Amino acid sequence: MTASLASLFITPIMFSRLAGLLMLLPLCLAVSVVYKTIKIEDLRKVPAAVVASWFTIVGGMLAIGVSIYALYYLCA
Amino acid sequence: MTRTPRKSAPAAIRLPLIAVLAWAVPGAGHLAIGQRSRGVILLITIALTFWTGVAVGGVKNTVNPHERTLWFLGQVCAGVHPFLAMAWGSGFEVPEDALRSDYIAYGQSEEIAVVYTAIAGMLNLLVILDVLGRAEKMAYAQPHATAAGGGRL
Repeated sequence: MTASLASLFITPIMFSRLAGLLMLLPLCLAVSVVYKTIKIEDLRKVPAAVVASWFTIVGGMLAIGVSIYALYYLCA
Repeated sequence: MTRTPRKSAPAAIRLPLIAVLAWAVPGAGHLAIGQRSRGVILLITIALTFWTGVAVGGVKNTVNPHERTLWFLGQVCAGVHPFLAMAWGSGFEVPEDALRSDYIAYGQSEEIAVVYTAIAGMLNLLVILDVLGRAEKMAYAQPHATAAGGGRL
Protein backbone atom coordinates (compact mmCIF):
# COMPACT_ATOMS: atom_id res chain seq x y z
CA MET A 1 0.00 0.00 0.00
CA THR A 2 2.74 2.45 1.04
CA ALA A 3 4.93 1.35 -1.87
CA SER A 4 2.15 1.85 -4.41
CA LEU A 5 1.35 5.24 -2.92
CA ALA A 6 5.03 6.19 -3.14
CA SER A 7 5.24 5.02 -6.75
CA LEU A 8 2.46 7.45 -7.57
CA PHE A 9 4.91 10.28 -6.90
CA ILE A 10 7.95 8.65 -8.51
CA THR A 11 6.73 7.99 -12.04
CA PRO A 12 5.54 11.08 -13.94
CA ILE A 13 2.12 11.05 -15.54
CA MET A 14 2.00 11.75 -19.26
CA PHE A 15 -0.97 13.69 -20.60
CA SER A 16 -2.48 14.12 -24.00
CA ARG A 17 -3.02 17.73 -25.07
CA LEU A 18 -6.70 17.64 -24.08
CA ALA A 19 -6.04 15.95 -20.73
CA GLY A 20 -3.36 18.55 -20.02
CA LEU A 21 -5.89 21.31 -20.65
CA LEU A 22 -8.40 19.56 -18.38
CA MET A 23 -5.86 19.71 -15.55
CA LEU A 24 -6.71 23.40 -15.48
CA LEU A 25 -10.04 22.55 -13.85
CA PRO A 26 -8.78 21.15 -10.49
CA LEU A 27 -6.20 23.92 -10.31
CA CYS A 28 -8.95 26.53 -10.68
CA LEU A 29 -10.90 24.69 -8.00
CA ALA A 30 -7.93 24.88 -5.61
CA VAL A 31 -7.53 28.60 -6.29
CA SER A 32 -11.28 29.15 -5.70
CA VAL A 33 -11.29 27.14 -2.46
CA VAL A 34 -8.32 28.98 -0.97
CA TYR A 35 -9.49 32.41 -2.11
CA LYS A 36 -13.05 32.01 -0.87
CA THR A 37 -11.97 30.34 2.38
CA ILE A 38 -9.87 33.34 3.34
CA LYS A 39 -12.32 35.89 1.96
CA ILE A 40 -15.62 34.71 3.46
CA GLU A 41 -16.14 34.87 7.23
CA ASP A 42 -19.05 32.42 7.42
CA LEU A 43 -17.61 29.09 6.29
CA ARG A 44 -21.08 27.67 5.52
CA LYS A 45 -21.27 30.09 2.57
CA VAL A 46 -17.93 28.91 1.17
CA PRO A 47 -19.07 25.91 -0.97
CA ALA A 48 -21.59 27.94 -2.99
CA ALA A 49 -19.09 30.78 -3.38
CA VAL A 50 -16.41 28.33 -4.49
CA VAL A 51 -18.66 26.87 -7.19
CA ALA A 52 -19.59 30.35 -8.44
CA SER A 53 -15.97 31.45 -8.41
CA TRP A 54 -14.83 28.28 -10.19
CA PHE A 55 -17.36 28.79 -12.97
CA THR A 56 -16.35 32.44 -13.25
CA ILE A 57 -12.64 31.62 -13.59
CA VAL A 58 -13.13 28.75 -16.04
CA GLY A 59 -15.76 30.64 -18.04
CA GLY A 60 -13.61 33.76 -18.10
CA MET A 61 -10.56 31.85 -19.31
CA LEU A 62 -12.63 30.08 -21.96
CA ALA A 63 -14.03 33.41 -23.13
CA ILE A 64 -10.53 34.92 -23.32
CA GLY A 65 -9.24 31.87 -25.17
CA VAL A 66 -12.09 31.90 -27.68
CA SER A 67 -11.73 35.67 -28.20
CA ILE A 68 -7.99 35.41 -28.87
CA TYR A 69 -8.55 32.46 -31.18
CA ALA A 70 -11.25 34.37 -33.07
CA LEU A 71 -9.00 37.43 -33.33
CA TYR A 72 -6.16 35.29 -34.62
CA TYR A 73 -8.49 33.65 -37.13
CA LEU A 74 -9.78 37.02 -38.36
CA CYS A 75 -6.31 38.53 -38.66
CA ALA A 76 -4.77 35.52 -40.39
CA MET B 1 -16.54 28.71 36.28
CA THR B 2 -14.11 31.48 35.51
CA ARG B 3 -11.08 30.95 33.35
CA THR B 4 -7.76 32.26 34.51
CA PRO B 5 -6.32 34.48 31.80
CA ARG B 6 -3.04 33.15 30.47
CA LYS B 7 -0.52 35.70 29.42
CA SER B 8 -0.13 35.68 25.65
CA ALA B 9 3.10 36.53 23.85
CA PRO B 10 3.40 40.18 22.79
CA ALA B 11 2.31 40.94 19.24
CA ALA B 12 5.90 41.72 18.20
CA ILE B 13 6.80 38.08 18.89
CA ARG B 14 3.44 36.47 18.14
CA LEU B 15 2.95 37.84 14.64
CA PRO B 16 6.34 36.72 13.25
CA LEU B 17 5.81 33.35 14.92
CA ILE B 18 2.43 32.96 13.27
CA ALA B 19 3.92 34.04 9.92
CA VAL B 20 6.69 31.45 10.17
CA LEU B 21 4.22 28.76 11.21
CA ALA B 22 1.84 29.70 8.39
CA TRP B 23 4.70 29.52 5.89
CA ALA B 24 6.13 26.24 7.21
CA VAL B 25 2.84 24.35 7.30
CA PRO B 26 0.18 25.96 5.10
CA GLY B 27 -2.98 26.41 7.18
CA ALA B 28 -1.21 25.99 10.52
CA GLY B 29 -1.28 29.74 11.12
CA HIS B 30 -5.08 29.69 11.09
CA LEU B 31 -5.08 26.65 13.38
CA ALA B 32 -2.76 28.52 15.76
CA ILE B 33 -5.08 31.51 16.03
CA GLY B 34 -8.02 29.22 16.71
CA GLN B 35 -9.66 29.14 13.26
CA ARG B 36 -9.64 25.38 13.00
CA SER B 37 -12.07 24.72 10.17
CA ARG B 38 -10.50 27.38 7.99
CA GLY B 39 -7.04 26.08 8.82
CA VAL B 40 -7.94 22.48 7.98
CA ILE B 41 -9.49 23.49 4.63
CA LEU B 42 -6.39 25.50 3.70
CA LEU B 43 -4.02 22.81 4.92
CA ILE B 44 -5.69 20.10 2.86
CA THR B 45 -6.22 22.22 -0.27
CA ILE B 46 -2.65 23.54 -0.49
CA ALA B 47 -1.05 20.18 0.34
CA LEU B 48 -3.28 18.45 -2.22
CA THR B 49 -2.45 21.03 -4.91
CA PHE B 50 1.29 20.78 -4.26
CA TRP B 51 1.44 16.98 -4.16
CA THR B 52 -0.81 16.69 -7.23
CA GLY B 53 1.89 18.65 -9.03
CA VAL B 54 4.57 16.34 -7.68
CA ALA B 55 2.53 13.29 -8.73
CA VAL B 56 2.24 14.67 -12.26
CA GLY B 57 5.91 15.57 -12.64
CA GLY B 58 7.54 12.96 -10.46
CA VAL B 59 9.39 13.68 -7.25
CA LYS B 60 12.80 13.54 -8.88
CA ASN B 61 12.69 16.79 -10.80
CA THR B 62 9.55 18.79 -10.05
CA VAL B 63 11.24 20.94 -7.41
CA ASN B 64 14.59 21.84 -8.91
CA PRO B 65 16.12 25.16 -7.77
CA HIS B 66 19.06 24.83 -10.16
CA GLU B 67 17.09 24.36 -13.36
CA ARG B 68 14.02 26.45 -12.49
CA THR B 69 15.12 29.13 -10.05
CA LEU B 70 12.22 31.53 -10.58
CA TRP B 71 9.60 28.78 -10.33
CA PHE B 72 11.37 27.60 -7.19
CA LEU B 73 10.75 31.02 -5.62
CA GLY B 74 7.03 30.31 -6.02
CA GLN B 75 7.31 26.71 -4.87
CA VAL B 76 9.27 27.61 -1.75
CA CYS B 77 6.32 29.68 -0.48
CA ALA B 78 4.54 26.36 0.16
CA GLY B 79 6.64 25.78 3.28
CA VAL B 80 7.92 22.32 4.10
CA HIS B 81 6.33 20.67 1.06
CA PRO B 82 9.01 21.62 -1.53
CA PHE B 83 11.78 20.68 0.88
CA LEU B 84 10.18 17.30 1.53
CA ALA B 85 9.87 16.76 -2.22
CA MET B 86 13.50 17.82 -2.76
CA ALA B 87 14.75 15.57 0.02
CA TRP B 88 12.75 12.63 -1.34
CA GLY B 89 13.89 13.34 -4.91
CA SER B 90 17.56 13.68 -4.04
CA GLY B 91 17.52 10.56 -1.90
CA PHE B 92 15.94 8.55 -4.69
CA GLU B 93 18.36 7.00 -7.18
CA VAL B 94 17.24 6.34 -10.75
CA PRO B 95 18.20 2.77 -11.75
CA GLU B 96 20.97 2.71 -14.37
CA ASP B 97 19.00 0.62 -16.85
CA ALA B 98 15.87 2.75 -16.55
CA LEU B 99 14.61 5.25 -19.09
CA ARG B 100 15.05 8.86 -18.02
CA SER B 101 11.44 9.61 -18.97
CA ASP B 102 10.25 6.98 -16.48
CA TYR B 103 11.36 9.26 -13.64
CA ILE B 104 11.62 12.77 -15.04
CA ALA B 105 8.69 14.52 -16.69
CA TYR B 106 9.09 16.56 -19.83
CA GLY B 107 6.90 18.70 -22.05
CA GLN B 108 3.34 19.29 -20.92
CA SER B 109 3.60 17.10 -17.80
CA GLU B 110 6.62 19.05 -16.60
CA GLU B 111 4.79 22.35 -17.16
CA ILE B 112 1.67 21.18 -15.32
CA ALA B 113 3.74 19.88 -12.39
CA VAL B 114 5.71 23.09 -12.01
CA VAL B 115 2.63 25.30 -12.34
CA TYR B 116 0.68 23.28 -9.75
CA THR B 117 3.50 23.38 -7.20
CA ALA B 118 4.27 27.07 -7.75
CA ILE B 119 0.59 28.02 -7.51
CA ALA B 120 0.35 26.07 -4.24
CA GLY B 121 3.17 28.30 -2.99
CA MET B 122 1.49 31.48 -4.23
CA LEU B 123 -1.76 30.43 -2.58
CA ASN B 124 0.11 29.95 0.68
CA LEU B 125 1.45 33.49 0.35
CA LEU B 126 -2.18 34.69 0.30
CA VAL B 127 -2.89 32.51 3.33
CA ILE B 128 0.08 33.96 5.24
CA LEU B 129 -1.07 37.53 4.55
CA ASP B 130 -4.62 36.62 5.60
CA VAL B 131 -3.57 34.99 8.86
CA LEU B 132 -1.36 37.97 9.72
CA GLY B 133 -4.29 40.31 9.14
CA ARG B 134 -6.54 38.19 11.32
CA ALA B 135 -3.92 37.83 14.07
CA GLU B 136 -3.30 41.56 14.11
CA LYS B 137 -7.03 42.28 14.28
CA MET B 138 -7.36 39.83 17.17
CA ALA B 139 -4.39 41.38 18.95
CA TYR B 140 -6.00 44.84 18.80
CA ALA B 141 -9.52 43.67 19.59
CA GLN B 142 -8.56 41.23 22.33
CA PRO B 143 -5.14 41.64 23.93
CA HIS B 144 -5.49 38.28 25.70
CA ALA B 145 -6.91 36.26 22.83
CA THR B 146 -5.64 33.01 24.26
CA ALA B 147 -7.52 33.61 27.48
CA ALA B 148 -10.76 33.72 25.53
CA GLY B 149 -9.94 30.51 23.74
CA GLY B 150 -8.65 32.36 20.70
CA GLY B 151 -5.55 30.33 20.06
CA ARG B 152 -2.26 29.04 21.33
CA LEU B 153 0.12 31.73 20.14
